Parts: sequence; structure tokens; C-alpha cells
Amino acid sequence: MAMMNPVYTSRQDMLDEVITLGEEIVASSNLEVLRENANLNGESFSGKMSKFGSEYAKWYANHFVMPKPLVQAIQDNIVYVHDLDQYAIGTTNCIFIPFDKLLREGFNTGNGSVRPPNSIMTAMALVAIIFQSQQNAQYGGVSANKLDHDLAPYVTKSFVKYFRKGLDYFEEGDSAADYGLITMARSDLQVQYPRAFKYAVKETESETLQAAESLIHNLNTMSSRAGGQIPFTSINYGTCTSIEGQLVISSLLAATMRGLGSGETPIFPIQIFKCKQGVNQQPGEPNYELFLKAAECSAKRLYPNFANLDAPLNLMYYDPANPDTEFATMGCRTRVLSDRFGRNHLSGKGNLSFNTLNLVKLGLEHGIALGLRQTADEQGFYRELEHYMDIALDGLLHRFRIQSSQKAKASDFMMREGVWEGGEHLNPEDTVGELLKHGSLSIGFIGLAECMKAMYGKHHGEDTDVYRKAYNLIAFMRDYCDRQSERHNLNITLFATPAEGLSGKFTKRDRADYGEIPGVVDREYYTNSFHIPVYYHISAAKKIELEAPFHGLCNAGAISYIELNGNARSNPAAFLRIIQYALSQQVSYFSINHPIDRCSGCGYEGIIGASCPSCNASEQDVHIRRLRRVTGYLTGDFQTRFNAAKQAEVRDRLKHST
Amino acid sequence: MNICGYYPESINEGEGLRAALFISGCRHHCKGCFSPATWNFHYGEPFTPEREQEIIRDIAGNPLLSGVSILGGDPFFSAAEVSAFLDRLREAAGAISAWIYSGYTFEELTRDAKSPEYGLLSRCQVLVDGRYVDELRDPSLLYRGSSNQRLIDIPASLAQHGIVEWRPTFSF
Ligand code: SF4
Repeated sequence: MAMMNPVYTSRQDMLDEVITLGEEIVASSNLEVLRENANLNGESFSGKMSKFGSEYAKWYANHFVMPKPLVQAIQDNIVYVHDLDQYAIGTTNCIFIPFDKLLREGFNTGNGSVRPPNSIMTAMALVAIIFQSQQNAQYGGVSANKLDHDLAPYVTKSFVKYFRKGLDYFEEGDSAADYGLITMARSDLQVQYPRAFKYAVKETESETLQAAESLIHNLNTMSSRAGGQIPFTSINYGTCTSIEGQLVISSLLAATMRGLGSGETPIFPIQIFKCKQGVNQQPGEPNYELFLKAAECSAKRLYPNFANLDAPLNLMYYDPANPDTEFATMGCRTRVLSDRFGRNHLSGKGNLSFNTLNLVKLGLEHGIALGLRQTADEQGFYRELEHYMDIALDGLLHRFRIQSSQKAKASDFMMREGVWEGGEHLNPEDTVGELLKHGSLSIGFIGLAECMKAMYGKHHGEDTDVYRKAYNLIAFMRDYCDRQSERHNLNITLFATPAEGLSGKFTKRDRADYGEIPGVVDREYYTNSFHIPVYYHISAAKKIELEAPFHGLCNAGAISYIELNGNARSNPAAFLRIIQYALSQQVSYFSINHPIDRCSGCGYEGIIGASCPSCNASEQDVHIRRLRRVTGYLTGDFQTRFNAAKQAEVRDRLKHST
Repeated sequence: MNICGYYPESINEGEGLRAALFISGCRHHCKGCFSPATWNFHYGEPFTPEREQEIIRDIAGNPLLSGVSILGGDPFFSAAEVSAFLDRLREAAGAISAWIYSGYTFEELTRDAKSPEYGLLSRCQVLVDGRYVDELRDPSLLYRGSSNQRLIDIPASLAQHGIVEWRPTFSF
């Protein structure tokens, strides 16, 4: 019999809570609950069904599962447990999928077994199926960390097929003969069998493009999770230099630029272009043209984002002979490259869970903003910070024990097929703990800017002294994580929390407790992680320079954004320069935000004010779909799917250009 | 001279990220002008030496800028002052590229090689020229409003005594 968590006292109160939960979901009366997750349609039947499950699961975890200090810290609005609905059942967060292995060996989804594919078309179709199958075994994102390398062999397979067919067709040679290893790079074959070769190249190119188009369509249309949620997919690519790999990359980019059915911007998969000096950063490097194409695509579609393999924290694990050691990321920013047990590569593991700290409240309690003291009480701040990090960590460790004790059969596809490395050796009844230890447990933070305001009256973009204090604070948190990693012999890392559902929750509670405090609690949201506030006037270069050092500290992942107003697609030079500047400053993961509006009257895409510049239709008469990025993922239309806090943040974003 | 706008970083008024400076005053009075308020030479704020220094420092200290763009109104109605500004900017920031917008055409601006207008023109790299013609409005055009307006490579055009159109370095 589960023990009731004594933080709650009255059984009648508990019953009331459960009843209210149900009523709110049925009546769609609490918009904040419904829109907590921008990618879930909480007003649909399946969305409501899933809300019933997750809201009760949270309630249960609160009352009966979590350690008391953690529940208290949540109540005190200092710690946030992400995906609390998954806590009690021991699900894990996210994973990088070893597509190379699954495609090479074939796999079983549980409903049927699948042979290794013999063409790029089939291989890409299977990528979608693998994503979908894996998504059901976890709650966060699913990612391909090197899709170009993973898929290149299947481009070759298609090419071989077409080449042999061409030999017959054009009567140039014997289709059954032994030609050695046939690849698109075989210029000798091209000279000897020009017609068959040319035919094979053309057919392979067109098949790869079609395959990429159908992959992107699939990943935007299939729902796997309840609530009609599309799997949170991310694909990383950019470094494979074989002709076949390059074709995969250029096809994915071309398909993304073409867009979905009526040309609209795809929401998924998030795409990340991996940038590496010597591979794709300067004219003359093998994949430079693809980098330009990636920038073009990003200017049109907001994707791909850019991962920096040359940033020191990523470069130290980089082995040019093994693409699995190249830094890649989950779209939302998760980074899981290093492992104290030696698996310093990406695929086959992921993040297990993370808890986030509300730095703003600690700042309010110990700073000058409330007018209770002249100078900030730094000692008291750090004492409490450490105290709450202990609680957040205990929560992660407690949750890790629950996750570890799960049987392999609970995450059937993930373990049976070895999506999580080594899972294939477990029996269904075995527990998964020994394998999960390769994943990461992360402590996140939010609102560094408002915390500094509360402590010292200025944020870290406004004052160099405050900047140094802000940096030291995050360095302190990182140091704590490193020490605890040693102590517990686990991968404990520091995360620059994206905070989608969270951005407004902390703020709302703090506002109720402290009132509106200028510069601290006067907006509907707290600033993401260590970012310079979106409403603060600062040049793009300065923002990049200030945020870059924090990337080195946040070993569980971080992203920096620059906001551009104006039609990014018409100014490639600006776009490229900003990206390469961010890379040169050692930013680990970077992207440029710019508005993409779409007129449903004429299909024009660009920046649309009150009326469409192309067909002149007014906003009153036609729907203008306004695409914006939130926490790394895109959301179809920010006015209908974002929660109030995120809507406010988008309105406040100050553009680095007007 | 007054200025009626300054954006430290913009992608809309020329290639790359550029600082954009708007000079008050215009006598072209095009029909459908995007902002008739800027016709007035007293509109906006006075371009004091302090403000000028601030802007020069700002531009010199921004490693991401590809250059500066000067718009209006029409900066050619204040040609001598704008030329002096460009000279001081380059003294502080080095050989920085300048785009300039005008309601005059290239032919009009080059009529007299001794005029202050010619002087200003020859200090810039790209001219976006011609009056705005409402009937020729086309929102899909790069960096300009109506299709009669041209993007002109100034040094090449002056050297060849004829119009050489500017071409983007990168095109998507
Ligand atoms: S030249 Fe420009 S500012 Fe002057 S009237 Fe014409 S459009 Fe307006």
C-alpha cells in the first residue's frame, strides 16, 4: 500500500483535487493545463484522454511517490520536475537512435519483423517507423545523430540496382557480372559504361529526393503519442563526405525547402546541421556547398539549426574516423556526448530525466529587489542554492532508482532491439539499471537574468560585474554537478533548461507571492536559462559574445538564438555571417529566429503585417499563419497553440534589426 | 541636419547585417511614399556631434556588420553633411562599405562631377536609385519598393561611365 505524502494532510482536499482535475479536462476550462505542451492538442478527444492519464499520474507521484523534500521544494516554487506524469512508472526522457545498426540488421517493432532495406526509399520509410516505435517507449525526443552516415549505404544499394539495370537496358555490359564495389564515386565505371552510369545517377538522385520528401511528410503527419502528438523527432547531418551521404543531405534540405503539401514549413523533424572546420566551413571543403544550402534552408524554414563540432567541449570527444563521436543534439538542446563509463559516443543512449531550479525566487529571497537589504546576501544565496540542488539531485537519484528497476519488457522496442545500447542482451524480465547508467541525469536552471536583477538590480547583459557574478553562479552549479558525478558515480550534468511549460508557471506563483517587481516579476515569463532577455536592446554580436561562455559550462545542453526581423531569405550574407560568428565564439548550438508568416489566401510566405503584401488581403478576411519557434521546436501557429507565457515572450522578442 | 531613425543592425536595407541611418528631409514627394513625415527637414532628432560619435563608435565596435546604409528622406538633400559623416566614420572604423538610397537617379546625381551630390555618391558602394512609383510597387523586390528602382554598383558604374547593376555575393 502506497504511503501518502505527509506534505498533504486532508483526504477531503485530495479528493477535491482529483474531482477538479477531471472537471477541468472534460470542460476544457483550464487553458493553461490544455496548452502546457504546445504540440499537444489538448482540446481534442485523444488529447483529453491523455490529459486524464497524465494529470492523475502527476497527482499520484506528488502524493505517494516522490521524496517529501522534493514535493516541498515544488510547492515552494523552487524546483520543477519535468514530465512528472512519467515519474512513477520509470520512463526515460530521450535517446539517440543507432539507425545504422537497426537498418543493417533489421528489427522487430513488436507487431512484425522488418528486413534490412535494399533501397534508400525503403530505408527512409523505416526511419520513420523506427522513430515512431521508439517514441512510445519514452517521453522526450527521439533523434538521429548522423542520419547522412546512416543512410548513405542505402543510396549505394539503390545506385547498384539502377546501374545493373542500366547495363542491360543500354546493352553496355553484363548486369550479373562482378564489377567490384559499385559506388557513385567509381569514375572508371562512368567512363566505361557512360549511359548506364548516367541513368543510375539520375534515378538514384530522384529516388533519394522522393524518399526525403516522404520522410518529412511522414514525420509531420503520423501521431504516435496520445493527444495526436507528432513524435518529437530531430535529425542531425552535415559531415558525411561520400557522394551518397552528400546526396542524402542535399535531398533532405531540398525536400525541407519545398515544404509540405501546399508548400508550408514542416514542423518536424527538427534539423541540425553539424558544422566542422575542414569539412564544411570554408570554400573548397568537401561539404561547404551543403553548409550554404543549409543556411538557405534555415533562412526559409527556420531549420536546420547549427551544431558546433569545433567548440572545445565537443571537440574533445571528436574522432574523425567515428561519426558517432560527433556532437549532435536533440532539437530542444539535450547533449549527452560524454559518459564516465566510456561510451563517449552518441547513439544508443540519452538523457534520463531533469529537474529545474527557479533561480529567480532564490534571487528574490537573497537580493536587493524586495527592498529588505542594501546589498545582496550572497552567502545565504549560495547556501540555499546548494540546498535546493541537493533536493533536485536527490529527486533525480530517486527517480533513477525507479527507472533502473524497470524490466526490459516495459520499454520493449527500445531494449529488445538494442536502441538503447546493450538492451538486446537483456531478457524481458531483466531490469535495465546497468544500462541506463550510461545516460545522463541533469539539473537545469531558468531565469538567470531575473535572478541577477533581483540580487543586484541589473542583469548580466547590463553590467560587467554582474556578468562575472552570473558566470560564477553557473560555474558553481556545474562544479556541483561534477562533484556529485564523482560521488554517485553517475553522469550528472548541468542543463540550460528550455522550459516550455515552465516559463510561465514559476513566474505566476512568484508574482502571487511577491507582487510585480520591476525587471524581475513584471512579465509573464522568466528568461530561458542563461539567455540575455529577449526584450533587452543588445547587438547580435554582443549577445553571442556574452552567451557563448555559458555553453562551455552547460554540459547537458544549451542553445543561443539571435532574433532577426525582416525577410531573412533575401539576405543570405547576413545569415551566414551571423552563424559563422557564433561558431567562432564557441557557441555549441545555435540558431537564428525570424518570423515566417503565411497568407492562407495566396500562399505568400514572408513577413506579413495586418495585410498580405502580395494579395493585399487583410488579416480580418484571411487567416495569417504565424510560425514561431518555442524552446527549439516549431509550433504551427503561435497564437492558437502557445500558452499565455510563451505568447507574451514572442511578443516581447526584440529583433536585432527592424 | 536631423536624423529620423537609426538601427544598429538591420537585414532589410542592403546585403549583410548593416547599420541603417535615416536622414530627415526630402523634396521628391512621391505618391504613396512610405513615410511622408520624413519629408520635413526638422523631423526626428538633431544629428549632434555627440550622437554622431555614439553611432560611429557603435558601428566601429560591431564585428558582425557588413557596412552602413544611409536612407531618408533622401540623404542627397544633405549631401555635404552626409559626406563629412562618412569621412569621419571611415577615419574611425576603416574602409567600411556604404549603401545609399535616393529618389534621384544615378544619371541625375552624376551630372556635375563637382557637385556635393557627386561627392557623396562617389563615397558609396551601392546606390538604390529612383523615385518610388506606387504603380510599380513590388514587395518581392530585393531592398527596394518599386520596379523602376535599381541597385547600382557605384565604383564600377563611375569607372565605365554607364550603369553596372549590383549583384549579390551569395544568392539562395
Ligand atoms: S524619395 Fe523616398 S522619402 Fe522621398 S518622397 Fe519618394 S519615397 Fe518618400
